[in-house]
Amino acid sequence: MSNGDLLHVVTNDNISPRRKALGRGIIWGSAALMAVIAALQTLQVTGHGDFGFVNWRPTLYAYCLWATCLCWAQVLLHGEHGKRTLFVLPAALFVVSLTVFPLLFGLLIAFSSWNLSSPDGRQFNGLDNVRQMWADPFYWNAMWNMVIYCAAIVVEYAIAFGLALLLNAEIRARKFFRVAFLLPLMLSPVAVSWMIGKSMLEARYGPLARLGRFLGWDTPSFFGTPDIAKFTIMAMDAWTYIPFMMIMILAGLQAIPKELSEAAKVDGANGWRNFWEITFPLMLPVSITAILIRIIFKLKLADIVITVTSGGPGGATDTVTSFIFREYRDRSNVGYGTLLAMVYLVVIIIGMTILMKLAERWTRPQT
Amino acid sequence: MKVELYNAMRSKMSRRRLLQGATALGAVTAMGPMGRPAFAESHGNVRAEILKIPGVGAGSPTDADWQKVGEMCLGATKSNVAEGEFAGVELTFFGINNNGLHNILFRGLLKGWETYTGAKINWIDLAQADYNPRLQQSIATGTVDFDILAMGAPLEGDTASKGLLDEMPDWVKTQIEMDDYVGYLKAPVGTWDGKTYRISIDGDCHTFAYRTDYFGEGAIGGATVPKTWQEVNAVSKAVIGQTDPLTGQPAVGYLDPLKGWGGFGFYFLENRAAAYAKHPSDPAWLFDPDTMKPRVNNPAWVQAIQDVMDLIAANAYPADQINADPGTTGFSQFLAGTGSMLMWWGDIGSNARTSDTSVVGDVVGFGINPGSDKVYNSKTAAWEETYNEAPNMAFLGWGVYVTNRVSGDEKKRKAAWSAAAHLGGKDLSLWMSAYPSGFQPYRNSHFQYDEWEAAGYDRAFIEDYLGSNADSYNHPNAAVEPRIPGIFQYYSVAEDELAKGYSGQYKSAQETADAIAAAWEKITDEIGRDNQIKLYKASLGL
Repeated sequence: MSNGDLLHVVTNDNISPRRKALGRGIIWGSAALMAVIAALQTLQVTGHGDFGFVNWRPTLYAYCLWATCLCWAQVLLHGEHGKRTLFVLPAALFVVSLTVFPLLFGLLIAFSSWNLSSPDGRQFNGLDNVRQMWADPFYWNAMWNMVIYCAAIVVEYAIAFGLALLLNAEIRARKFFRVAFLLPLMLSPVAVSWMIGKSMLEARYGPLARLGRFLGWDTPSFFGTPDIAKFTIMAMDAWTYIPFMMIMILAGLQAIPKELSEAAKVDGANGWRNFWEITFPLMLPVSITAILIRIIFKLKLADIVITVTSGGPGGATDTVTSFIFREYRDRSNVGYGTLLAMVYLVVIIIGMTILMKLAERWTRPQT
Repeated sequence: MKVELYNAMRSKMSRRRLLQGATALGAVTAMGPMGRPAFAESHGNVRAEILKIPGVGAGSPTDADWQKVGEMCLGATKSNVAEGEFAGVELTFFGINNNGLHNILFRGLLKGWETYTGAKINWIDLAQADYNPRLQQSIATGTVDFDILAMGAPLEGDTASKGLLDEMPDWVKTQIEMDDYVGYLKAPVGTWDGKTYRISIDGDCHTFAYRTDYFGEGAIGGATVPKTWQEVNAVSKAVIGQTDPLTGQPAVGYLDPLKGWGGFGFYFLENRAAAYAKHPSDPAWLFDPDTMKPRVNNPAWVQAIQDVMDLIAANAYPADQINADPGTTGFSQFLAGTGSMLMWWGDIGSNARTSDTSVVGDVVGFGINPGSDKVYNSKTAAWEETYNEAPNMAFLGWGVYVTNRVSGDEKKRKAAWSAAAHLGGKDLSLWMSAYPSGFQPYRNSHFQYDEWEAAGYDRAFIEDYLGSNADSYNHPNAAVEPRIPGIFQYYSVAEDELAKGYSGQYKSAQETADAIAAAWEKITDEIGRDNQIKLYKASLGL
């Protein structure tokens, strides 16, 4: 029994040295087997011999065997503690298999020239893709567009906050409006693209275009110029996701004790001061969480753009993801497309880390 | 035949028309050998019989109909394959699964073949959008897991050039009567390095559709239908400010799609460029075959881009044209009464008369790609002031190919080719042209209008619509698409650069064309210049 663990482990593990040796043996034995098989397969792929492998499954099977042995050995080596480890270890190995390995392979591809149409296959090309990215105006244009799209979140947040305040007030049919306002969030962005972008906003027969003509706009065109197209895409995306922010803020508003605002009223605070001095500061943690999650959603924006404008006119509405989609899918440029995605990932990680640190600092005094 | 064309014809059928058709068919059959058209001498009875299934005006064909037709067309197979000869053979067929078309249709058509030969076919069905990425990944990762492949000819560069296909045996050529193919589908299309790989099951080209009410004495577009791109632009400018005679909306001339369409949008600039750039003495028009240097920034292509920019500057397009892809120009604009001239695939011709959203059915006419008063000769680097026309064979149609997975097993190989030959058989192809299948006519024998009329189709429409296809297919200066690896990569990046040019981000047509050329050079270097030169020459038959 382990010291200091009396509450949790009640069995008395008398693990013999032989059992421990067996545990270590199966770990290292299976690891060695995996290493040997992987090495032989690598040698075969690189043309240094033929060992009869048809595909990479033997290495996969060896990995599965090693993972199984590793789990089994936890019990052999650590007894009851090992069993507790087993609650987590398989999941950890699974996650590693599905995220870390692909990430490593992704990095390998990112520094390669790999056009699927090239007869030479994947060729390591060092930093060529980075240099190409650096000089690629389409990519930087898409990056800049992302900055603008993300900046629009401030406006979305203000609208969402306003709607949440309305729905938090004692208004008629409050429950109906709560559900009604959530409907856009339930729609697939592709459906939004077709219903709104391609139908309602259609320049000739779309109802909004007709309304525009009725109001005196001679040639209504919602995607005709770069600025209007960008604004329309932002509006469609906002229409879809404002309800998400609104519902988070509403949940926060309902968690604020009513006594606080009542006390403020007693002290003579008007509606604005009540909001600015009490509600808004108390809502800051929720607001920042909502904004951060919204930024994450925004960074993935692609479906509406791909469906409605394909990034046009002239790249005005392109997002990084829609540009990578064209580069990767339409042009089969796997190496360059992967590098662009990797760089975007790094930018997102750095950006989000900084934002979260700042958010932590901003919210600390209020909480 | 496109679904829409079939439905159009079907919807036009009355009981009287049906009886007329049946009478005509009966008469043709009763007349015996003397009365049969020469083109279908050996197949006449089968051809007439299969055209009755399910019969024009009798609803869309069902799986039972497909099976029946497939079974009735087994004659050619039986002459080369003994019953049960392929017992135990399993083949995998790779294709798309559009509703009621392609693989879905093939299943029924091959059912009788499977029963007769004893072979079994497994299917890899893909959505159209997933088709190319899946194929490219299979090729790039060496995981080709199919024996028979339905594929467009432009992708021969990605497959045949890499030795992934099996060469067609001579008996197949005889069985499918390859000599019957329309001119442009004959070699070099379907061949690589002199070897034949493709059984055509479809033909593709862009044809000119125009509004007849815009042209004629006193009409707003002028007395005659434009024959050249110069005239097309002149009419497009002349109708600005006038009223569309059909809809009462502002009149519009030619409809260029100014937005990309996954690479397919580039075909529409090609339509204009073909007249300027496809010199009759030179099969190449996109690249220089000796260096792969793009010609897309030569004066001919720049003229084509400039033509579009001129119309943009003149406000000759509808308001949102910068965001109009070919789907929009075809279906949302032309068929809905916006615009008077359009280049498109066959779908527009059929939809014009039949689609619920079409308002132009009674005022639509067809022709081949407009020509030009001048043509650029890349060899002399000079314009020649002479009339030139060059129909654009955009996409070259679908074909059935056999992969080299079967090359080492003669029984399996014969089975694969037999299945492919069944689908590409002369009689079966007529049925596929006449009923919804996703495929257009592609054999000379498909243009014998008597057969269509006897089956109950409208002669005048068929002659006008199919005539424009036939004239394009058999044109001596057809602009044939290069079948090189990554061709859609070139098109896709060109669309992006064109969009920038059209939205004014480049200073001129020349600058736009130079940007496309630079991007194409990069792709060529990426894929491998020497190899591309070799393959481009091979695809042009040089």
